Amino acid sequence: MKKLIRLTVNDREYDVAVLPNQTLVDVIRYELGLTGAKKGCEMGDCGSCTVLMDGKPVNSCLVLAMQAAGRKIQTIEGIETENGLHPVQEAFVQKGAIQCGFCSSGMILTAKSLLDKNPNPTEQDIRKSLSGNLCRCTGYQHIIEAVKSVTP
Amino acid sequence: MKPEYNVIGKSLPRTGSVDRLRGAPVFAADIQLENPLILKALRSAHDHAEVVAIDVSKALAIEGVVRIFTAADIPGKNLLGIINKDQPLLATDKVRSRSDAVALVAAETESAAHEALAAISVTYNPLPSVTDPFEALKTDAPKIHPKGNLLFSRKIRQGDAEAAFAGCASVIEKTYRTSMIEHNYLEPDAGAGFVDTDGTLVIYASTQNPHYDHKEVVTLLGLGDNQVRIIQAATGGGFGSKLDLNVQGFIGLALFHLKRPVRHVYTREEAYLATAKRHPLTLTVKTGADADGRLKAIKAHIVCDTGAYGSYGIAVASRSAVHVTGPYEIEHVDIESYCVYTNKPFCGAMRGFGAPQVAFAHESQIDLHARDLGMDPLDIRLKNCLRVGSKTGTGQVLTASVGIGECLEAVKPYYREALESGVSAPTHPFRRRGIGLGAMWYGIGNTGVQNPSTAGIEMDPEGHITLFTGCADIGQGSTTVLAQIAAETLGVQPAEIRMVVGDTKYTTNAGATSASRQTYISGNAVKDACQKLGDVLMTEAINRLHSPKDSLVFQDGHVVIKAGPENRPEDRIDFPCLAKRIHAKGVPLFWQGYFDPETIPLDPETGAGSPYATYAFACHLALLEVDTLTGQVTLEKLVAAHDVGQAIHPENVIGQICGGAAMGIGFALMEEFEPQKTVSMKDYHIPTCADVPTVIPIIVESAEPSGPYGAKGVGEPALIPTAPAIINAIARALGERIYHLPANLERVLAASISSGHFGPQEVTHG
Repeated sequence: MKKLIRLTVNDREYDVAVLPNQTLVDVIRYELGLTGAKKGCEMGDCGSCTVLMDGKPVNSCLVLAMQAAGRKIQTIEGIETENGLHPVQEAFVQKGAIQCGFCSSGMILTAKSLLDKNPNPTEQDIRKSLSGNLCRCTGYQHIIEAVKSVTP
Repeated sequence: MKPEYNVIGKSLPRTGSVDRLRGAPVFAADIQLENPLILKALRSAHDHAEVVAIDVSKALAIEGVVRIFTAADIPGKNLLGIINKDQPLLATDKVRSRSDAVALVAAETESAAHEALAAISVTYNPLPSVTDPFEALKTDAPKIHPKGNLLFSRKIRQGDAEAAFAGCASVIEKTYRTSMIEHNYLEPDAGAGFVDTDGTLVIYASTQNPHYDHKEVVTLLGLGDNQVRIIQAATGGGFGSKLDLNVQGFIGLALFHLKRPVRHVYTREEAYLATAKRHPLTLTVKTGADADGRLKAIKAHIVCDTGAYGSYGIAVASRSAVHVTGPYEIEHVDIESYCVYTNKPFCGAMRGFGAPQVAFAHESQIDLHARDLGMDPLDIRLKNCLRVGSKTGTGQVLTASVGIGECLEAVKPYYREALESGVSAPTHPFRRRGIGLGAMWYGIGNTGVQNPSTAGIEMDPEGHITLFTGCADIGQGSTTVLAQIAAETLGVQPAEIRMVVGDTKYTTNAGATSASRQTYISGNAVKDACQKLGDVLMTEAINRLHSPKDSLVFQDGHVVIKAGPENRPEDRIDFPCLAKRIHAKGVPLFWQGYFDPETIPLDPETGAGSPYATYAFACHLALLEVDTLTGQVTLEKLVAAHDVGQAIHPENVIGQICGGAAMGIGFALMEEFEPQKTVSMKDYHIPTCADVPTVIPIIVESAEPSGPYGAKGVGEPALIPTAPAIINAIARALGERIYHLPANLERVLAASISSGHFGPQEVTHG
């Protein structure tokens, strides 16, 4: 049985009717039409569906849409500023940190969350923080260089 | 002296990056369609069974289920395969593995489709199955295909290996085993499609080879070429597995019958179950070296388990045979490689086509010889490595661009520094450090068979340039590289060239994005097309500039008289002006380019031939630490030197090197796909950023005369030397060698125990 909930995504409020077993990633992708969060495993193993919930990265395939009601959700579509790309996005372009791009949304959101908390992370901090976001293309080196290059 | 280029060798921003990091709907699962039907395939319940009956009545009665297809619904030829056609899209008389699709559901919703899968009743008559390739070769083994279980064999014979062993000071014979590997690209296979207003079936697919997909779908449905259009969607990694038809045939079949938009997206579980894997190889390799450490002879017996279908198995068996000598000159060669069917999920292309598996063997062998003869592992490689003028195992004489010696020299300072810093001395009671080398060679393009590419270039009467290429960019950056090659040839900036990529309606065949072939082969096709257009522009410019053609060059969208002392306006003419004049004369401004590397097929009996027009070379150095009590291997550093001919886009090359090294770490230490046990990403671990050390990439440029601006390739070479370097480093750390990949915790621990390291070590201070 569907229930009407209010979701705050990228500072915009949406009233959506969702099923109790509907995941946040499915609602974001199919009800709200935001395709930045990707479905790579649907088991919380790959991190491709990462979104920020109250500023913290979560695997949106493991969050029920109903659990997200009343929380502040941010997806890759919502981090650009008036000046264009978010500095982490810009760094990913500059450092060649994107190959196929399927992991990029999740990777960037996790990195943004880290940098919001800790503007000067060590390489170990970055590796630890990103270890839940898998990438099969880059070997992570350019991604880590990109995150390092974002200065406060 | 190195030539000077305008855009070759410059790391420009890659095409498509911004769309991807803004979350734009570029992947096949993201593409918006009006009310699409959901497709799901039912897979076999047995390893090997006759399909007696399929009852879909209960499934069809489920609300939302629109249609269920079986093999009987396929109007054309129900047999797929890029090299040999042996794989039905939907099972006919029998299933040969659990990957086989038996029926296809089309439903209004995901849940109705799932319900329908469970409600289809298939009556099977189970048959005896065989999962071991050696068992499968026995005469009484269950027959998987009508022609038997041996799909293909490749022999390479030169000189007299047996006689040569007799004169060798060091003869080593070992058996090596590698595991089935899952590509594990992050994007599960996906596609979508609709029927266009003119009746064309339009299929978006996550693919490495849109023109092959097109041919297969056309044949499957019995349609004409212009009735099917494949558009490559953004492809979230491929690594070889998206060379086979995954969803494309299913989407085509549904569009053909239902004329409604459809979407087919694999779950991760289905991507694991139903797509190609890396061939597990069993190789017995015997090599002999003289007292100076010079390799004299090799005898190798290779068995490639291709599972239920051929896919790229023949290519893997053939390439394995050619590459098992390693990047070394060996006079006497006796190699046999077999490709064998079993009732396992099928194996196909995966980054390296057998070369990573055989590199594990040849690099272990050369380290064993070094130890046997008291030689340094780097010195013995330098002594044996191929050079200009060397003859390979197939009798091919290498005439240029043989950079293996330079790669070995490039890692030498890091190697010597590590040795001098006492890398293998214990620093902890339970930990041992190790250093290891891995070298490789890799033939660019397909093995001794034609594999051309084509490309189109067009200038409109206003002077705008469009490049048409069928080359699928799957994240490696080929679109950027091909734009650079076109821009260099025509003297413009890459951003000024409009790119039309991977759409069978507008582009011609560029062949597969595989075998590290696109920069070299499609790059040459692009250059050829641009030179033809360039010639027309130059010829027209002669009339205007009153200067001979050899005095003219392209510069910033103009033809100019080169190297004049003053830069006079009358010495240059811009492209729009030329294009308008050429167009007015009715001379074409669209030109097609073509390139096929010059190869000579391998002789079926002796293997003699020139299988590749050029080879890439590399050497990796691994520094690591082994915990002797847990078997945990911690990588400290990888140094990766690659001869790529000429790096068109150095950042892309480094991206390939780092990504390949990470995949090589997985191959070396953790990855193993076990049918029916490996179900999801919980059971199969790929390296995370915590598992990968800093990689020091070194680009070696030994220009290839036949390459576009000297380029070769790097995609697969990046992965090949990593595992051998790691395994050699573990062997050096423990004094005990591992012959079965992956060197997971259990195998490293077993090696630690048998080497006597399982216990406290004496720590050396100072």
